[in-house]
Amino acid sequence: MYGWIWRKLPGPLAVRITIATILILGVAALLLFVVFPWLEPKLWFNNVTTEQ
Amino acid sequence: MGTHEGDYDSGRLYGELGDRPPEPGDRARNVVRNVGELLITAGMVVLLFVVYELYITDLFSAGKQREATAALDDQWQHPGADVVEGGERTNKIELEDGKGFAKIYMPQFGSDFHFTVLEGTSDKTLESGPGHYKGTALPGEHGNFAIAGHRVGKGAPFNDLDLLQSCDKIVIETEGSWFEYRMLPKEDEAPKWDSVRTKSPKCQKVNVLGADYSKVFGRDIVKPSQGGVISPVPYAPAGTKPGAALLTLTTCHPKFSDAQRLIVHAVMTLQVAKNPANPGQPPAGMLEDS
Repeated sequence: MYGWIWRKLPGPLAVRITIATILILGVAALLLFVVFPWLEPKLWFNNVTTEQ
Repeated sequence: MGTHEGDYDSGRLYGELGDRPPEPGDRARNVVRNVGELLITAGMVVLLFVVYELYITDLFSAGKQREATAALDDQWQHPGADVVEGGERTNKIELEDGKGFAKIYMPQFGSDFHFTVLEGTSDKTLESGPGHYKGTALPGEHGNFAIAGHRVGKGAPFNDLDLLQSCDKIVIETEGSWFEYRMLPKEDEAPKWDSVRTKSPKCQKVNVLGADYSKVFGRDIVKPSQGGVISPVPYAPAGTKPGAALLTLTTCHPKFSDAQRLIVHAVMTLQVAKNPANPGQPPAGMLEDS
């Protein structure tokens, strides 16, 4: 999978590394700022209140 | 890198000596490699989620807490801005869901430990700071002023709640007053409280409460279903008339789990009205760990 992506990246090595870094940061940002905030309230381990 | 045919020794990555290099179209190898890559990716995502929970949520929450504090400061400095026409200013605290109405200080944790307390305990509210259980008493009132807060992530206001010791101060500031609460004796200290108390000047004002409060100790660990900890008289049957102004803090326990709740009970020992000429100035010694 990663090998396939690497082969699809255009340009010389420096450009490939730059694009790969941007891709990784983009995926990390998508997870941190979109996916996790959406996912987190659905998980069970963050309750601090007692039932009323 | 070997250049002539048949030299596999330099630059080799796979297999035993004498193996041929992998065929490009080796399906099984491809499948295994992809599965492995997916598993490693999944592991990285889970690790990233831990980073998110422990650090990134702190960043989000710090911003929300700053906003809530700024809004509360603004409201205190410009009172009457939201008073309805013909309405009179009273000492009554205005509660609005998700909005700050008080500040909490724990001098034990340093002079920079302060949070704005918001109304309500929804997930969204607790992301901004500690939340007041709706319907429980207000600061200074007889009954139980109960607050929930996160222990890990999201600003973690109650991260060190387990380090609070009996007689430690928890100070609440409202628009009109300062309230000093002190943590009640722990269960093992309660029977010999008179001897403990004489040793510590902090504890002078912490009296043993009446019979209705016989099960109320400074620190408790309960099941999440035990809503009785925030009753007007904790653990007592409904309808018991409160004889003291308590403060109750709840957070999750153990850390990183929600299996139980850590509870801290405190009793009001002092109430000081704010000086109208200088409402921002805390009374002498109020915010010192003493």
